[in-house]
Amino acid sequence: MKTSLYVSAATLALVAGAAQAQDLPFAIGEGDFAWDSYNEFAEANDLSGQTVTITGPWTGREKEKVDAVFRYFTEATGAEVNYSGSDSFEQDIVISSRAGTAPNLAVFPQPGLASDMASQGALTPLPEGTADWVAENFAAGESWVDLGTYTGPDGNDNLYGLFYRVDVKSLVWYNPIAFDEAGYDIPETMEELKELTEDIVDDGGTPWCIGLGSGAATGWPATDWVEDLMLRTQEPAVYDQWVNNEIPFDDPAVIGAIEEFGWFARNDDYVQGGAEAVATTDFRDSPAGLFAIPPDCYMHRQASFIPAFFPEDAEQGENVDFFYFPAIEENDLGTPVLGAGTLFGITNPSEGANAMIEFLKLPVAHELWMAQGGFLTAHGGVNLDLYADDSLRAQGEILAGATTFRFDASDLMPSEIGAGAFWTGMVDYVTGAEAGTVASEIQTRWDSIK
Amino acid sequence: MSPILQGIITIILGVGGCAGYFYASNLVLDRFIFPARDDDHGRNINRATMVRPWLFLAPAIFFLGLYLVYPVIGSFIRSLYNRSGDTFIGLSNYLQMFSEEGFRVALFNNILWVIFVPAASTFMGLLVAQLTDRLKWGNVAKSLIFMPMAISFVGASLIWKFVYANNPDIGIINAVRDIFGMDPIDVLQLQFWNNFFIMFIMVWMQTGFAMVILSAALRGIPEETIEAAIIDGANPFQIFFKIKVPQIMPTIVVVWTTITILVLKVFDIVYAMTGGNFDTEILPSYMMDFMFRDDGRATAVAFVIMVIVTPVMVWNIVQARREMR
Amino acid sequence: MDNIAGQKSGLSLVTNLSVIALVLIWLIPTIGLAVSSFRERAQISESGWWRAPFSVEQAYRVSPDADGAVQDGDTWVLEGNVFDSSEDASGEGSVSGFGITSRAPGAAEPGMIYARYEVQVIEDDGEQDDTNIEIAYEEGSEPVFPETDEDGQEIVQDIPPIFDRSLQVMRNGDFVYRDADEITRGPSIYITAAQPPEFTMDNYETILTSDNMDRAFINTLTVSIPATVIPIVVAAFAAYALAWMDFAARGFFIAMVVGLLVVPLQIALVPLLTFHQTVGIGQSFLGVWLAHTAFGMPLAIYLLRNYMIGLPRDIIESAKVDGATDFQVFTKIVLPLSFPALASFAIFQFLWTWNDLLVAKVFLPSNSESWVMTVKIADDLLGSRGGDWGILAAAAFVSIAVPLAVFFAMQKYLVRGLLAGSVK
Repeated sequence: MKTSLYVSAATLALVAGAAQAQDLPFAIGEGDFAWDSYNEFAEANDLSGQTVTITGPWTGREKEKVDAVFRYFTEATGAEVNYSGSDSFEQDIVISSRAGTAPNLAVFPQPGLASDMASQGALTPLPEGTADWVAENFAAGESWVDLGTYTGPDGNDNLYGLFYRVDVKSLVWYNPIAFDEAGYDIPETMEELKELTEDIVDDGGTPWCIGLGSGAATGWPATDWVEDLMLRTQEPAVYDQWVNNEIPFDDPAVIGAIEEFGWFARNDDYVQGGAEAVATTDFRDSPAGLFAIPPDCYMHRQASFIPAFFPEDAEQGENVDFFYFPAIEENDLGTPVLGAGTLFGITNPSEGANAMIEFLKLPVAHELWMAQGGFLTAHGGVNLDLYADDSLRAQGEILAGATTFRFDASDLMPSEIGAGAFWTGMVDYVTGAEAGTVASEIQTRWDSIK
Repeated sequence: MSPILQGIITIILGVGGCAGYFYASNLVLDRFIFPARDDDHGRNINRATMVRPWLFLAPAIFFLGLYLVYPVIGSFIRSLYNRSGDTFIGLSNYLQMFSEEGFRVALFNNILWVIFVPAASTFMGLLVAQLTDRLKWGNVAKSLIFMPMAISFVGASLIWKFVYANNPDIGIINAVRDIFGMDPIDVLQLQFWNNFFIMFIMVWMQTGFAMVILSAALRGIPEETIEAAIIDGANPFQIFFKIKVPQIMPTIVVVWTTITILVLKVFDIVYAMTGGNFDTEILPSYMMDFMFRDDGRATAVAFVIMVIVTPVMVWNIVQARREMR
Repeated sequence: MDNIAGQKSGLSLVTNLSVIALVLIWLIPTIGLAVSSFRERAQISESGWWRAPFSVEQAYRVSPDADGAVQDGDTWVLEGNVFDSSEDASGEGSVSGFGITSRAPGAAEPGMIYARYEVQVIEDDGEQDDTNIEIAYEEGSEPVFPETDEDGQEIVQDIPPIFDRSLQVMRNGDFVYRDADEITRGPSIYITAAQPPEFTMDNYETILTSDNMDRAFINTLTVSIPATVIPIVVAAFAAYALAWMDFAARGFFIAMVVGLLVVPLQIALVPLLTFHQTVGIGQSFLGVWLAHTAFGMPLAIYLLRNYMIGLPRDIIESAKVDGATDFQVFTKIVLPLSFPALASFAIFQFLWTWNDLLVAKVFLPSNSESWVMTVKIADDLLGSRGGDWGILAAAAFVSIAVPLAVFFAMQKYLVRGLLAGSVK
């Protein structure tokens, strides 16, 4: 009886789900989207009856947004798109490509992982001419080409990844109402930020919400902190050496950056729930503290995609806003910015996969997510007015105002480090291990895979 | 094709295929190869009797051989090769592994698991079995304690994540601490002890299993021995420990080893509770870090697990042979 | 005699109590999750599930429109009702406290006036500086200024405090807000109100409609039913052969089955996935069925053989004497008689395959179309719904509903079969 009840509920749900799938959030041909090239694309491609399978790291609300974008692809080509997001994407994609059941395309959050897979022959180079197209059409195109170019199993370099969505990571989110009521000013320097942190504690508040939890990827938010602080304590050149392991992971420069992070995260008074909560709080859940009454915390350092995880009553500019994670005035290293991006790679070539790459080159593919919020792009041909809110434009300005821009180091390191040892190492560190010990363990692991 | 349809077809094909195979092969054997008629009558029946067991066993041997025997050998061989599988490197994977802190932690924790979980589950099971033995509502109690057995490891982890949550408004442990004015703690981060909190989930799930079997064993003890003890003036504790426990010792051992085997297979709980962080890694979850990235290392870890269970395996086989005589 | 009886009842009391305690420990975690699956996210984080039947004090921010503000002497006044201005704040229409900062949302009792003044204080270094203090006082009386501010700094008494703003909220939600400056944008009013306990099916609705859990549910069924039925058929024949047929290698095979019971399935993953790829199965339902069939095989053979060997020898012998073939003996006599053991293994294998995470993770494609419920929970929901306990709890209950039903309905057989396997 119970079973049949559930089954019928499930069947109902399937029907409802199918109806929902037809919704397009923006009517085709309306608004300031670049519909012309979309219509051309639609006419040139007819893939009715085909299915394009994609796996990636986006789950929950981010999945809803990207699914909406893919629906336009379906509308244009007739091909179904089946996107699945998984928290253990990094493991799953490796297993499925090993089993020969890889999806058509994979969305890599880390160039490092894509590079590993390209070298094993699990990725197919993007269609010829894509590299030139990216170089021409993306802002700072050459650097995006470099980040997506890897050595294949035959020893040749090819472009394997097309960047779709860029994140600015050097942002601190805060609640302007709470700041206003407490009379706090936006800090312009790291010195001021630390002072503000202490002031908030003096006033009986908790300055930071930090959460490292992320399922199988637990620990990654801490790597962003360390990278951001690395850029603020060291020359960019040192950062590059670190990424390539030209200086060891346990170099004093790296340990220094880890300990800077510890200043924030390992102090019971500075983080919501005490230092202990940092490692287990889910990163998606952690910004909720900004919106609690009374506030659980006042600041949250996280990349530009985080609004997707804000509670529903969050409103940009009203009860949430961000400022640039400031540089250390004393060090005089300019205004460094840390960023990252996700890239599409072809894991199982098909006509549909190539069409999808073509689709992602259209400005409209970017605009459709821009308009839904939580999306930045390096595509030069998009209509910037379509950004869902001013904050994304402001993030664009932070990006433009950077004296140094560096890609997320952990994403560039070999996946066993950048998507493994570095993560778990940071969890060990926030739960009490010495920075030096943690760093040398990571270095040992790195040595073992050379 | 919808997976349900596919599933139904598989059941029909699978079951039909199996039944068809057994029926047809027996038919072929009896009618055509060794027909029980004419002059060869007696010899043919004998010959058919010699072949028939193999017909019955063939599919099982296929599955056991391909999916269990071959992998043990295949894994061992794979573990002697490097990460890409093209160079023979002898025992380097093992040597490398033993030199790593992470592996030693996982090994140590796994040994903790193997000792604690079976011991605690068996003990709790025995305790409940004895306590509920004469109770009017004993069967209800047993059925409730048996229930977690039906829950998945992932579901159980969720249930206990909720108990262990370090927010006193969610986690009941911290709510109790809160009443006594203590600060909330995250028990999953208490170095060393966190292992026990995770292991307890497994104990919670397996106690029911131990209880059911031990309770049947307790009932199987001849009344006379107990009556004799009572007449000799033994108190309930003496009866339990000196009379009952020794008599059901073989059953206790069976329960113990069954749980031990299960413990060595489980990776879900650690995976869902901590993801192996906070020094709670055990070998099966440690292996997941390497699987399909560095198969040499992954298979080496698997083989270490195999080595740990070998004594249990040998003991089981010896036991089975003894019974057969 | 009395003495013994007294001892006995004392002992049975202790026994009863300890069993009750154990059952409670065993049940509480599950009950907690069950209760939470019917609660809203906000309530779950506000109060423990054990307080679910009681109302919860919750704080809200209300921001009424500035439109109705009027000038009244030196100050501007805005009046209204907080419950009209906010959809979230309901709480039976009864305010239990209010404030003007989110830090102290319930600083004042309803009916009081809560005001902020700017005063001069002497800082630790002796300098004089201005700061804000907040005071609550009864309507009709005058505010009484303290001698020090909240940081313990001395307030300069001879400089009159300057009025900044004040707020009065009545129990029914009516408020009067005064500000020294013109009110151009809606002020922030914080109230606390008791939220009545609320139970909802929303979590289940969400999980079954929008979150693809329905699909995962069907996938789980698809994996577990064939993976339960097929090994039974194969194992039953093998068990019969090992129990009632005489052949040379019998002892060896029994030993092998017993030995293979112990093999950790981790060891099989890498070689088998590679094998599946070579023969073209790859990651698919077929692959999972085969894998589960094989991994369940040793236990199936072992349980069934132990049961079958206990069947009365006479029946089987006499049937054979009557000229029945082994095949007939098996299908007509042994199989029907072994029903309890077959049922027991079926339950076992069903629970195992339904609850499995590892095999599904490795042998099924990693996309939402093929996720089973365990993978869905571990890899998707635990992450994307990380803090949303209500949803997680509902998902967990959807996933354990079927095994629990099977378990309680067929417990008898499970126990009987288990005993065949381990107690002689």
